[in-house]
Amino acid sequence: MTFVRQHVGVMATVAIVAVVVGSFVLRPPMLLTFALILVIGIGAAAVANGSQVLRKVLGLIPVLFVITFFTFLIMNALPGDLAVNMLGPGATPQAVAQIREDLNLDDPLLVRYGDWLGDAVTGDLGVSPIRQEEVASGITNALPVSLQLMLYAQIISIGIAVPLGVYSAYRAGSKGDRASSTVAFGFLAMPSFILAVLLVLFFSLGGLSIFGFHVGAEVLPSARYIPFGENPLEHFKSLILPAMALAAGQVAIYMRLLRTDMISTLQQDFIQMARAKGMPDRAILWRHALRPSSFTLLTVIGLTIGTLIGGALIIEVIFTLPGLGSYVFEAITRRDFIAVQGSVLVIAAGYVMVLLIVDLLYIALDPRLRA
Amino acid sequence: MTETLRQTDVTEPTELAQIETGLEIPPPERSLVTGRKRRFGFMFWLAVTFLVVLLFSAFFANLLPINDYDTAFSGRSREGPTWDFPFGNDNIGQDVFSRTIHGARVSLIVSGVATLIGVFFGGLIGLITGYFRRTVDAVVTSMVDLVLAFPALILALAIILFFDSEGESRMFWLIVTLGLLSIPPIARIVRASVLTVADREFVQSAHLLGARNGRIMFREILPNVIPAILSYSLVFMAVLVVVESGIGFLGLSVPPPQPTWGDMINKGRNELEIAAHIALFPALVLFLTVLSLNYIGDKLRELFDVRESFL
Repeated sequence: MTFVRQHVGVMATVAIVAVVVGSFVLRPPMLLTFALILVIGIGAAAVANGSQVLRKVLGLIPVLFVITFFTFLIMNALPGDLAVNMLGPGATPQAVAQIREDLNLDDPLLVRYGDWLGDAVTGDLGVSPIRQEEVASGITNALPVSLQLMLYAQIISIGIAVPLGVYSAYRAGSKGDRASSTVAFGFLAMPSFILAVLLVLFFSLGGLSIFGFHVGAEVLPSARYIPFGENPLEHFKSLILPAMALAAGQVAIYMRLLRTDMISTLQQDFIQMARAKGMPDRAILWRHALRPSSFTLLTVIGLTIGTLIGGALIIEVIFTLPGLGSYVFEAITRRDFIAVQGSVLVIAAGYVMVLLIVDLLYIALDPRLRA
Repeated sequence: MTETLRQTDVTEPTELAQIETGLEIPPPERSLVTGRKRRFGFMFWLAVTFLVVLLFSAFFANLLPINDYDTAFSGRSREGPTWDFPFGNDNIGQDVFSRTIHGARVSLIVSGVATLIGVFFGGLIGLITGYFRRTVDAVVTSMVDLVLAFPALILALAIILFFDSEGESRMFWLIVTLGLLSIPPIARIVRASVLTVADREFVQSAHLLGARNGRIMFREILPNVIPAILSYSLVFMAVLVVVESGIGFLGLSVPPPQPTWGDMINKGRNELEIAAHIALFPALVLFLTVLSLNYIGDKLRELFDVRESFL
């Protein structure tokens, strides 16, 4: 039991990653995956730090309530008849009456919200009248694409940002540090969609000729999604450009955060102690300094992942990836209120869940937080 | 005796910290964070110049001797930069340069006014919650956290598109939506900065002198958090410039014939292979705008020693 207590964060992380990977392959119902992640997260956190975690979990419920209710309100606050709003001005009276009946539009607002919520808890997010498809299954199809994109972008950005941040903190003020800080500052100002356009230009359209010099090549596809199961290599090729477009800005953010925190960690006494006893610099950096420097970074990574659960809307639209971002965008432009409502619930739930997992990882990283 | 007196006399937190820790802390004319001299430097003024020129030309776009943004010049379709058309022409021959300048209007007005809304209300909320704490703080902070859990871009797109489907008053809705969405994050930042000064000696002495809460908040605390608010609102404005152009990229910003950067980049995307300049010039100006805002905000923060770890 003490072993579990001491390594709960690591074990829970492994379990959650396993669930996520498993859900890529097995494609179980989305809510099952969510529920599993939630159970693992809460269970692990409760083992390590009971009451505090319980309070946090209970705090999530009102958040989801308010978010879904507010979304509901916005759609019903629109001027005009909701059924007409959905179908457009050219709708036949029969179709309007059909929608009114399907959605119980004659009931009071609160009753309808209650009905929707009751269904949503059981995993039924309603049927989209525009796509003629269950919202839950539409989201289940779209979510893996967004999650894959998010995962690859995180792997790229963390893989680059952490070594770079550690190095530039270790050699703070050196040429390399200043160069990487400058480049990072540039990427910070580069909106992801501009970077996406540039990447497409240089890697899939063959690039530019400036004053006779030709830069770029036609090596990667620009707008085609291939599922992992179909062809793993083509799958990675189809996602590498969007993942890079997302990762560049994140690298800059992560690197700067880690550098700042690491510099202040390196000035502390225990680092001097480690140096004094003759520990090699590399071991000091990676084994002693990195862990206490990574809290801010972890929070921001959590927030980024939480935001990306809903897909990187613009990037998905540019690369025509059939992810949750594209799904929501299409729902919004086609006034598919039912689909918007369902997606907002899933996205918000994912967001708060990721923040919960981040709290859990704190416990793994910082022994002082363990009860 | 003199030793103790000197020690208790110091009010500057840096000096206190120096005495407590025995560490050497740079003198006040150097920045606490970087140890560098407090100077703006060449790049800062370059960024300021760029923004001033952009602001000026966007404001007086109708009076400047530039081509009309909506005229399609025949025979100039997809032509590269020339003396008359510094940024070249787009697929139907319109002047990319003058469209970029006119597009700056939308970007700057939307992001600027929305930031002002956010700073005003967010600042007020942050000031009140950071100062009163307890119940007020708990209630407002949880509300702020709640709004932050909303998928912001989706919410913005939904509001803009549902309430203004034809785009007749798109500018207004953009400003209102982005302004409202920037209140919570700004409130959070202001609250955190207020917390760092709310317990300082000068605030306590104002209390002891019998100053009312309003006076303490606006005359004692506010002037001390304004540098932080200023530098963050510039960075925040940069974020909103990106958001506005992102919305424009999706074709949902101010509708044509008014040019917007996002829309120009999106349209230029189809011409990348034959005439990349159509997308690249507005993208470059957008990039430089965001870069300048970030750089100025960063420099100000460095100068005023606003430390991120406080926030």
